[in-house]
Amino acid sequence: MPSNPSMSAAIVAAAESDKIGYIEEGTTALMLHIEAIRNVCDAAGIKPSDIEGVFSPNNSVLLAEYLGIHPKYIDTTSVGGCSFQMHVHHALAAINAGIIDIAVVSHGESGYSNRKNGGKGGLRGGGGDPWVPSEQFGSSVYGAWGAPSHYSHALTRHMHEWGSTKEDFAQIAKVTRDWATLNPRAVMHSKETHPAGGPITVQDVLDSRMIVWPLNLLDICLVTDHGGAVLIASAEKARSFKTAPVWIAGAGESMSHQDIMEMGDFTATSAKASSESAYRMAGMGPSDMEMAMIYDSFTVTAGITAEMLGLTPRGEGPSLWADGKASPGGQFPVNTNGGGLSFSHSGMYGMMLLIESYRQLSGTAEDGIHGLPGKQTDAKSAIVNGTGGALSVTGTLVLTADV
Amino acid sequence: MADYNKPIPSPDPYVTKPFWDGAKEGKLMLPRCTSCNKVHWYPRMLCPFCHSSSIEWFEASGEGFIHTYAIQNRAFGAWGEETPYCLAYIDLKEGDRMVTALRGVDAENPTSIKIGAKVKIEFDQADEDTYVPYWRVVD
Repeated sequence: MPSNPSMSAAIVAAAESDKIGYIEEGTTALMLHIEAIRNVCDAAGIKPSDIEGVFSPNNSVLLAEYLGIHPKYIDTTSVGGCSFQMHVHHALAAINAGIIDIAVVSHGESGYSNRKNGGKGGLRGGGGDPWVPSEQFGSSVYGAWGAPSHYSHALTRHMHEWGSTKEDFAQIAKVTRDWATLNPRAVMHSKETHPAGGPITVQDVLDSRMIVWPLNLLDICLVTDHGGAVLIASAEKARSFKTAPVWIAGAGESMSHQDIMEMGDFTATSAKASSESAYRMAGMGPSDMEMAMIYDSFTVTAGITAEMLGLTPRGEGPSLWADGKASPGGQFPVNTNGGGLSFSHSGMYGMMLLIESYRQLSGTAEDGIHGLPGKQTDAKSAIVNGTGGALSVTGTLVLTADV
Repeated sequence: MADYNKPIPSPDPYVTKPFWDGAKEGKLMLPRCTSCNKVHWYPRMLCPFCHSSSIEWFEASGEGFIHTYAIQNRAFGAWGEETPYCLAYIDLKEGDRMVTALRGVDAENPTSIKIGAKVKIEFDQADEDTYVPYWRVVD
């Protein structure tokens, strides 16, 4: 009889690459991976050779080779920004099965540097197969060029079906920016970190450049360089590191489609299914959550996901950010790092969600690097959602503080 | 044909061939499951609803309705010359959904475009063998 993997493993350390954001001197995805893994091992007080499992959306064998280690569990699940939530799910299962005790989940992505390096160093896969259905019949035939071309359709449909407005969603960007002003490493922290940084208003979002109607520039995430890594360890080992454990109470993953042309309901994602799996494993529900880290590639991503996670009624996702509830000092903090909208987003944002969740629940969210006074919340539980592709795939975690 | 400057899809010669053959004659051919009678899009080897492998092709009405849309205010390559233009998802009259660059709408005025508006299909010859489907608002 298989056992419930809840709490059989913990995230025991989290770290970023040496530099994050707009790295003007340039970097590569591999450099960012390796810096982050080195830093997370240093933080926990272990050597890379102690790692038994390597999980990454890039080639995990390449990472192991580069580190000079020979792990006994290798996972290269690569499904976009939520890959890292899935890696935690998979690592939890592998640890619960007794196969490994210590795993690393690693992220390195040179979204910003790729522009100057012509894509070299990005660890990108090859081009699409022209015979797959999405290449024959998908929106690329009609000039769709990236995530904004896809996510915009969901916002149009949400406004039509639920009577929401662009102002409702713009509020998400405003509140998220407020959190970024408490995070000195956020790209949009202040006028010193970026000419357009510092607090914004709903009107600023509405007045920003139109990219793909109905998405304005400030409805859309950043494109940065970022590396990050977390260590996951079995319950038996979880308290043997220099850093404190944050427990994996629940995990789930699901998908609704690969190409958005197959998205049945443009106002709903598989975050409903993946969060239900995570809540069930944890024996908890939305009302037990004290904060949320919600993937905000776009304001519409976060708004819809809030509904899917059971944090608001259907059609009212943006209300989670209304009336200061999700803001600094509010009763239900959301995206306390400043989010993909204002902190950092290299293409696959899921690792940043993990790192910030770990910091919040381990009480290390404002030590000078990680945030200014007021960024640390008193939350003891978090719902952590990743969304990948074009609202395609989701991974959701329930994390709890060590008590 | 000579003036079709957009990326041209590369039809596979197996599963999707009846669609592309129909397109050459200006017909919208759709796959339908003979077991559950549902139409699906894109074409598959098996029905995504009941998983039967009994698929037949039939000539559809070529009519549909706007499900959702977005205005491409920026685009690249030859599509960049078209901005702003409307990308839309079309609910097919016979069932399921296709994506298109929608014609017959004012992309400069996004809120003038109505979800639910009736659309009809047309085909552009892109090269000797490939005719690309487009939809146009007819309301």
